[in-house]
This record gives sequence, structure tokens and C-alpha cells, in this order.
Amino acid sequence: MVENYKPKITLFHCINAFDDTDELFLTGKDTCEIQTVKMPCSSMVKDVFLLRAFEAGADGVIVLVCPEGQCRFLEGNIRAKKRVAWVRNLLDEIGLNGQRLSLSNISSGDKITAGQIIDNVLKNLAELGPNPAV
Amino acid sequence: MIVGEQKSISEIKTIIAPYKKILIMGCGTCVKTCFAGGEDEVAVLASALRLACKKDGKEIEIEEFTVERQCEDEFIQEGAPAISRNEGVLSLACGAGVQALARRFLKTPVLPGVNTTFIGVLEKQGVFTEECAGCGDCKLAIFGGICPVTRCAKKLLNGPCGGSQNGKCEVNPETDCAWQLIIERLRILGQMDNLRIYVPPKNWQTSLSGGPRKMVREDHMI
Repeated sequence: MVENYKPKITLFHCINAFDDTDELFLTGKDTCEIQTVKMPCSSMVKDVFLLRAFEAGADGVIVLVCPEGQCRFLEGNIRAKKRVAWVRNLLDEIGLNGQRLSLSNISSGDKITAGQIIDNVLKNLAELGPNPAV
Repeated sequence: MIVGEQKSISEIKTIIAPYKKILIMGCGTCVKTCFAGGEDEVAVLASALRLACKKDGKEIEIEEFTVERQCEDEFIQEGAPAISRNEGVLSLACGAGVQALARRFLKTPVLPGVNTTFIGVLEKQGVFTEECAGCGDCKLAIFGGICPVTRCAKKLLNGPCGGSQNGKCEVNPETDCAWQLIIERLRILGQMDNLRIYVPPKNWQTSLSGGPRKMVREDHMI
């Protein structure tokens, strides 16, 4: 565990799963720095965007998508899930640890679950430590 | 199209290890379609390599560039300025593209980032299958458009082996029996008489067994 470590998290989210006003609750999180990237659908999350978030200094990346079967564009969240799995393997291969990247399904406006997801990621990052490629 | 698969990050890291400035050059034709070497794959690989090198404490500059077609001089010359700025080129094209670059830029090391696997088709989204062995003596006309040279594990030209079960190959139960497909297709076409045509033993000199092949079109030569 690294002392005085304030993890940087990049949060990609579908605006249908987690809207602009929900982002405000993230400002209360003083144990980490969170940068949000909103997308019209989680299918917009491409492999390279996830990797570039790590290149930009993120210690962890979270992708919040709608619950399965509830994507307005039918399969956007399924596509996001597959891409995240692909990039996790790539991160393992690089030696960055795929656990730094996670995807969670979340119902619109469910701030309690969102808070729990972020807390879990922070716990995980406390174990993993800072991004070794920064 | 030519189907290829990107090499593993660890193999690519070993290949590019001697260089500090490298250009990753993609190809916008076949390998783009099979997600091995188009513009998107160049961007992902460049990002992954930058992260991997930073983690290992190795300094490297990576430039990205994709041309429409890497196997033709006319297209690859667009990459000349980028190539001249770098110590080496990691090509994400098929083997033909890598060699076309190597021929055009004699003094720059051109390295392969893709394993060229076969000539195939997109069977369904994300699944590519081999359909042509490039044997140089196409007999698809009598086989109902299904190639036993490529798709029959035993390359049989005069009927099925008898080992298939439920339309699947006995060598690999996940593969359709090519002869089952041929017969079904000939039946649909009303060309079952084609099965009476004796196909003599194949002359493999027209294939790669005869060494690298060359095709000349005098009418296009100046």
C-alpha cells in the first residue's frame, strides 16, 4: 500500500446510465481525483480511448453502462463489455494489470450503487498502487 | 481478402527493442477489415506499446500512419516523410505489404507486426474463414463454388472420403464437410452431373510448391 496516494480515476459513462447532474455527486469524493467522459451510448467507448486514459495518467478506469437488456441502442452495453474485456487482457499483457479497468451496469440515477462501485475501485487501487506507466 | 492477426505485444516489443523512434504503419485494405492493421489497430497498438515501454522504463517515440494500401508503391509513397523521420517501421500490413515497404525503402528496417494467416471471407461479424489456398488452378466451376482444395482437410477432388458425420469433417468436427456442401450446392444448381467429371491429380506447380509466382499482364506494361 502506497502512503499519501490519491488515485486518479477516469470514468466513462453512458448519459442514459449516469447523467450530467449525477456527475456533481462525484465532487464530494476527496479521496480521489475523478475525470468524467460522457458518451451518448456506452458503445462509443473504443479500445484506444480506454488505453489513452491510462496514458494520460489514470490509475483506474471505470465504464458505467446501462443494465443488460436496457440499452436504448439495443446492444451498446454488450459491445462496451466486450471491448472492456479485450482491453483488460491487453493491460494484463502489458503488465499494467487488467483489474485497473472495470465495467459496471447501473440503473439511471442510482447514486448509491455508483458510490459503491467507486469505493470498490478505490479499495482495489489501494492494493494495486499507482499506474506504473506514468 | 487477406486475413491476418496481430502479433502479441511481447513479440512486438522484442522486434522493436533495438529502436528508439518507430513508425507503426497500418494498411487500410484487407487487414483493416479483419481488425489486424487498420487505423484503429495502429492507434491501439501505439498506445499499448507506449504504456508498456513507459512501464519498463524504456524511452521510445512512436509515430502512427496508415495508408490506403501497403502493397502498392503508389500508396506507400505517401508514408515516405514519416518513414524518413523514424529509425524503423513496424508494418501492420500482410506479408506482401511488409515486403513492398522493404523494397521501396531499402535503408529502413521494416518489421512485421501481423501474422498473415490466409485468404478468406468474413463468415459473420468477427469470424473469418479460409476459403482460398491460392493454388493457381481454380476448379470452382465444377465444385459448385466451394473449394475442396482449401475446405476439405484431405484436399479430395473426386468425392467425399466417407468419414464425415452429420455434415461435419472427421478431422475437425467444428468444420463443415466441404464435400457435403459441394453436393448440396450442386443439387440446388441442378449440376449433380458434375460429380461424374474425373478430376486428375492436381498439378501443384501452379501453387507455392513451384516457388514464388509471378503474373504478367503485357497489356498493362509500358
